[in-house]
Amino acid sequence: MIALAALYLSIYPSVASDAEDFKKLLGSYPESVRAMLGIDLDRIASILGLYSMVFSIIVLCGAIQAMNLGVSILTKESRERTADFLLVKPVSRAKIVSSKLVAAVLILIATNLVFYAAAFLIANGVKTEDFSAKLFMLIHLTLFFVQLMFLAIGMASSVFFAKLRSVLPLSLGVVFGLYLIGALLASGEDKELIRFISPFKYFEPSYVLAHAGYETPYLIAAAVIIGVAVALSYTVYLNKDVHAVS
Amino acid sequence: MSVIELRNLTKRYGKARGISDVNLQVEEGEIFGFIGPNGAGKSTTIRTLLGLISPTSGSATLFGKSCTTHPEIRKELGYLPSEVFYYDGMRVMDLLQYSASFYKKDCTKRIQELAERMDLDLKKKIDDLSFGNKKKVGIVQGLLHEPKLILLDEPTSGLDPLMQQTFFELIAEENRKGATVFFSSHILSEVQKMCSRVAFIKEGRIIKQEKMSDLQDNNYKKVSLEAKSAIDPAALDLDGVSNLELKGTSASFIFKGSLNAMLQRITAFQLTNISIVEPDLEEIFLHYYVKED
Repeated sequence: MIALAALYLSIYPSVASDAEDFKKLLGSYPESVRAMLGIDLDRIASILGLYSMVFSIIVLCGAIQAMNLGVSILTKESRERTADFLLVKPVSRAKIVSSKLVAAVLILIATNLVFYAAAFLIANGVKTEDFSAKLFMLIHLTLFFVQLMFLAIGMASSVFFAKLRSVLPLSLGVVFGLYLIGALLASGEDKELIRFISPFKYFEPSYVLAHAGYETPYLIAAAVIIGVAVALSYTVYLNKDVHAVS
Repeated sequence: MSVIELRNLTKRYGKARGISDVNLQVEEGEIFGFIGPNGAGKSTTIRTLLGLISPTSGSATLFGKSCTTHPEIRKELGYLPSEVFYYDGMRVMDLLQYSASFYKKDCTKRIQELAERMDLDLKKKIDDLSFGNKKKVGIVQGLLHEPKLILLDEPTSGLDPLMQQTFFELIAEENRKGATVFFSSHILSEVQKMCSRVAFIKEGRIIKQEKMSDLQDNNYKKVSLEAKSAIDPAALDLDGVSNLELKGTSASFIFKGSLNAMLQRITAFQLTNISIVEPDLEEIFLHYYVKED
């Protein structure tokens, strides 16, 4: 992710110098393609504008990481057949879920911190004009929000499998599925409503840049998704039958 | 208060497998054998007891409490599953310390002691261990916190005979120290050596519970006969005869009931040989498990 950010940010100087040509080139793309790729013509020449374009791909990677974590944490014990060891210890299942959840969130926080620091340094290195550190951080926080959502979604979907053999197909499938839905539908009709379907579209960098804040309905939707998914994971996992390994 | 109490315990998986109406009590200090062929419901029973699966109806309690609502009760419990799997990347010692951390006491000395008895290398990675050695880790793991109740689910598979011996000695020691032992197996001879009581389970139902002494001492005799002429099966059609095997002039069966009545029947034959011995549990067991036609 850091490499990706570095790659995109490193082309910034050339983009900035040829801003007009660049805009013309992108302007020749159809409107819908631009919407799909998250290109915003008016902002592309500023460093944050360019960065927010790259950012959607970074968020995609982050979502995969988070979803993987979410699916793994609870199914790890049954995939590696250690459930018989852990679940007969004198701790409640609720406590096990909580510990694992906290650990996963800590991993995400660490990822975000490292990534943020690296991206900030690179951006400072290539900048040709000053940019708002606050906006930079606000954009970055959306990565964390999206990751939290996918962590919760991953966990909630994993508890319904009696035995999950591998994590990647499930997490990649769900993440790419939602990403594509978001990319394809965001250019269509009823944009505001359809955006609720894909967590990737909850926090549009262009909105963040314009208003220095998030859109409240989507922020609430994100919180609801996280809350419901986590509650569902607890309820199902607490009553789940753990079968003998074979 | 019983250490283990199962009341009308029922667990259904669809129609075929599971257990139904299992009632069982194990008292403090007992070594209780739980016998049944593979697939009879032994593991299902144990897993319900552990709180790994939840019963369809009925209840399972340890020390009067259910594992699901009172997970802390598992502090007093040591469990050895038939197949052991641990975190592959860990070293044996780390795993055992991790296990001990759940019981909030320092078990280092005890781990070393047990590892020495079982001849287990604590520095190895779990990954590199053979099946038998993993099993030893399981044994140490189950005993390191000196539990008051030891649950063993087919514990001897994968152990060589010498290790089995050591293992049984360890269990017997724990039992003398006051631990209750619940021991599931399909191998009868090992149960026979250790247990004070046994329950037989078949197709998900407990079909018999008996004291070991009752099983062996009084009731059952194994009778083998050889006669000069062919033996008439009708003559052996008697209450208490089971597992009858007739081969021309020789016959053998398990007998439970009045010895006089049986002997009177037998004197009708021209006997060339007779032996009446204590059957081993295997033979009694067979007689429970022969499928009713």
